[in-house]
Order: sequence, then structure tokens, then C-alpha cells
Amino acid sequence: MARFIDLAFAAVLRAGLYATMAYGLGLIYGVLRVVNLAHGGVIMAGAYLGWILFDRFALDPYLAIPIVLCATFLLGIGMYRVLVRHLPRGAAGGPASLLLLFGVWLVLRNIAYGLFTGDDRAIRTSYSTSAVNLFGSFLEVNRLAVLGVAVLVPVGLHLLLRRTYVGKAIRAVAQNADSCTLVGIDVDRIYTLTFGIGTALAGLAGLLSATLYSVNPSFGAQELLKSFVVVVLGGLGSIFGMGIAALILAIVEVFAIYVLPSYLTTAVGFVMLVIVLIVRPGGLFGQRVLG
Amino acid sequence: MKPIAAVVAVLALMPIVLDLSAYSHNLLTLAFLMISGALAWNWMGGFVGQVSFGHAAMFGVGGFVAARVIIATSLPAPLAWIAGALVAGIAAIGAHPMLRLRGPYFSIATIGVGEASRFVFTYWEGFTGGASGLSLPIDADLKYQLYWWGLGLAGVVAAASLLLRRSTLGLQLLAIKADVDAAADVGVSATFYQDLIFCLSGAVVGLTGGLYASYFGYIEPSDLFGFDRSIGFVLMAVIGGVGTVLGPALGAVVFVLLRQYLVASYPQLYLGLYGLLLIVIILFEPLGLTGLGHRLWRQFRKVRR
Repeated sequence: MARFIDLAFAAVLRAGLYATMAYGLGLIYGVLRVVNLAHGGVIMAGAYLGWILFDRFALDPYLAIPIVLCATFLLGIGMYRVLVRHLPRGAAGGPASLLLLFGVWLVLRNIAYGLFTGDDRAIRTSYSTSAVNLFGSFLEVNRLAVLGVAVLVPVGLHLLLRRTYVGKAIRAVAQNADSCTLVGIDVDRIYTLTFGIGTALAGLAGLLSATLYSVNPSFGAQELLKSFVVVVLGGLGSIFGMGIAALILAIVEVFAIYVLPSYLTTAVGFVMLVIVLIVRPGGLFGQRVLG
Repeated sequence: MKPIAAVVAVLALMPIVLDLSAYSHNLLTLAFLMISGALAWNWMGGFVGQVSFGHAAMFGVGGFVAARVIIATSLPAPLAWIAGALVAGIAAIGAHPMLRLRGPYFSIATIGVGEASRFVFTYWEGFTGGASGLSLPIDADLKYQLYWWGLGLAGVVAAASLLLRRSTLGLQLLAIKADVDAAADVGVSATFYQDLIFCLSGAVVGLTGGLYASYFGYIEPSDLFGFDRSIGFVLMAVIGGVGTVLGPALGAVVFVLLRQYLVASYPQLYLGLYGLLLIVIILFEPLGLTGLGHRLWRQFRKVRR
């Protein structure tokens, strides 16, 4: 029973990180209808940025959050302005945007490899190993902090989309970009902004990951796939749905340890991805446009 | 059709007439294998417009089944390759539920399947030898002859691509690519034709995998099922021109030569250079080298006039 509780806690803590990873991917797809295959690359970039700030400037990863958010926001804006904007829209843009952003991912990976070599890096703070005792389970302080951030992110995103004028514009563009042009919304600017916010969230997820796991240039591939599971399972654009989906994925992964050899638990996410896509391509809660 | 036959004939005579070094002989063999793989990928990725990032799964299945048959029996290698192709084709039919997905959903699902297969086959040591892989019996004659086997396969696949594009089936695939619903309205069932093409494409890629296993004599799951291998097929097609009939063949040649050069000279850079190449091609010339060729040809004709 004690082990069960441990695993349940582990699943909740993991779910927070998965949800944070997924929001950016879901937001960009929900508004631009572009699958950001470079998502994994941005997660990796965020992780390395956090590591540099910690390693060279002794900046605590949680204090580095604003810096990482700004940097990956600018990276996203650059990616949209220079590359994604020039793609054809609609059906023809589908494969093209996949291949283009995949190219961006390869380049990001190579840059990271050139700058930081292939060695594993991790952010190890003074409190990385400390833990608190809760109902007989030891919970790492750092994981709780990650969960805290992961809870704040959807709240912030919800307020942004629901309570601000820009958020309203973003939702409107997601529903019908042409009509938005008619009422004077600069659609291209909203796209730029959305892409920036989406990549900033990916960067944040990367930073949080670096405090938990070790990171190397190929980091991000599994994170991309897991984000995709969450986005699809949660229904595109539904913040609440993505949170629930992240929890489901985390629970399945964590409890797979009971039935599968540990090596194969990594494949659980991939298998789940395919099953979800086939069985519920519209998500558990049906399709919804951002909210 | 005639130009393909001519090119194949010239290439078939080349090692006999010219005194090719073992290095070029082997490099050309590898290029032939990749040409077949890239053309078969293009049936699905180009003709139907369903970009697969998971063709390594069929490549690996074909390779390992062929290797197991060669190790376990005394059957001639071509029969083992065909066995691998059959199993890979059947495995591809297993992807049937996935083929309902369109566009990015399909692509992402293929990443999932490709990666899952890598994990599963690496874990399945009894079949693939796990991380340490499998060694095939050494057969120097066969390796030398693989040049012609590979060339023959590439020629057949190229001819098949041309026939496929010109046939009614090719038109039906184009219709599915342009608009699934409209195609269904005029009686072209995307479900059936996609299954058929994915199965054929998978079988040919599996066949390529079998030849590849004989070519290297040592195979491991992390290579055959690797993500880099899946990306390889995508890149070859993109470089040559996705959806063009024979562009991917050209792309495969460029890919193999470029890779050979880059891995030798800039092992740290080659992934990034591929990435840059992808970006530049998609932004400036979505039809790759084929599109570039057409553009230059038009310019040339304008100048002459």
C-alpha cells in the first residue's frame, strides 16, 4: 500500500510536467493548425538555457524562469517570422510545415551538440535532494516546486485567454481567421504572439525538466511525443482537458512498472499515443476551441 | 521507361568495363538500396501525401527476418530477402487503423510506432540479439553481387513508380492526396488504397532492409529501427522532390554521397546540415532538386528564345 501511495504521488508530480510541456504544442496547433515538430528542440533549448544560467551565473532555476520564458518567446517569434509565416496555408502546408519544423529541430539539436557536447547535464541545486515526509511518503521538494509551477501555468494561460483582449483575439483567430481580418484583428500578429507563447511554455517545461532529469542534445524527442499524447487525449486547445490527459498518461506510465519490464515502460507513451490517435482522435472530451 | 532501362544497363556494365574500386562499388550498392527505399517511401509520402516518420519499422522487420532466415536455414539469400519483405508487408497491413489518420496526426502516429518498435525489438533479444545485434555468415561473393541485386531492385522500383503514376491507381492516389472527402464522393476509397500502398511501400522497404542486412553482414536494432533511418527516407525524398516520380532516386544518391562525405569530414555537423537543407528546400523549392531542375530548364529555354 505504501508503494501504491508513493507511485500515486509520483504520477501526480509527473503529470504537472507533462501538462506544462503540452500546453505550448496545443496552443500553437489550436490557433495556427501547425504541429510544431520543433517543440522538442525548444524544450531542449530551455533546459540548456536554465543549465547555463545555473552553472555559469549560479542563478536558481526558479529565479531563471522569467529569463527562459523571454528567451524562448523571442526564439518562437523568430521561428514564426523567418520560417513558418512563409509556408502555404491549408492542406498543402501540412507536410511542408512538418518537414520545415523538423529541420529546425535538427538544427537546434546540432547547435546544442556543438555548444555543449553530447554529455548529460543536469541542474543540481542545494535542495535537489531534500524531501518532505507526507503520509509516510517522501516527496522531493524540487518535484513539489515543479508541480507548483505546473499548476500556475494553466491558471495564467486561462486568465490570458479568457480575461484579456489579446486572449479574446487569439481565441477568435483560432475559430475563424478570415472573419478576424474583417473586424480588424491583425491575424499575423496574433499568430506571431501565439507561436511565441507556445514556444515560451515549451522552454519553461524544458527548464523544469532540467531540474529533474539529465539533459543532452537529443532530449526532447520523447517529450514531444508525450506532449502530443496529452494534446490529442485532452482534446485540442482545452486547458482543463490537457491537464486531465497529462494525469492519465502519467498514471499509466508510472503504474506500468507493475506489469512491464522497466526497459519497456518508455515505450508505453508511444503505444498510448497510437491507441489514443486511433480510438479517440477528437480527444476524451470532444473537440473544443481554446478555453 | 526507356531512360530507366538505359541507365540500369549502363550501371550494370560499369563494374565490368571500368575497374571500380571496392569503395565505389560498395557506395554505389548502398545508393541503389537507398534509391529503392526512398522511391517506396515516396509512394506513401509523395503520391498519397501521408508523410511517414516511421518507415524504419518496416526496414528493420525486413532486415531482421531476412537475417534470421539466412542464419537459421541454408536457403539462398534472395529467398530470405523476400521472406523479410513479406513479413514487413504484412506488418504494414497491421498499421491499418493508423491510416484513418490524416496529415500531422498520421505523421506523429508514425513517430510513435517507429520509436515503439525500436524499443520492443531492442528488448526482444531472442529475435534481434538485443543491443549487441546479429552477425550474418560472411559471404564475400554475395556482397560483390549485391551491386546487381540492388541495381535490379532499384530499376524495378523506379519502373513501378513510373507505372504507378501513369496508371488509374496513380490518379486515384492523387485524388486522395488532393481531397479525401471529394475522392470518396466519386468512389475512391482512401481506406483501401492507402492500405494497399502502405503495404507495398512497406514490403519494398522491408526488401531493402533484407539486402541491407546482407550488405553490412552485421545488424543491430538501434541502427535498423533508428529514428535517423526513418528521417533518412524522408530526407532523400525531400531532397529529390516529394511527390515527383523519380526525384527521390536522385535525392537518395545525393543523400548517400553527402552523408558519406559529411560523416567522414564533419561528423558533428551532419544532422544540422540536413536540418538546414530541409528548411531551405521547403521554403524555396518544395519540389527539391526536381523542382530546381525544372526551373533551370525554363530559364534556359527563355534565354535561348
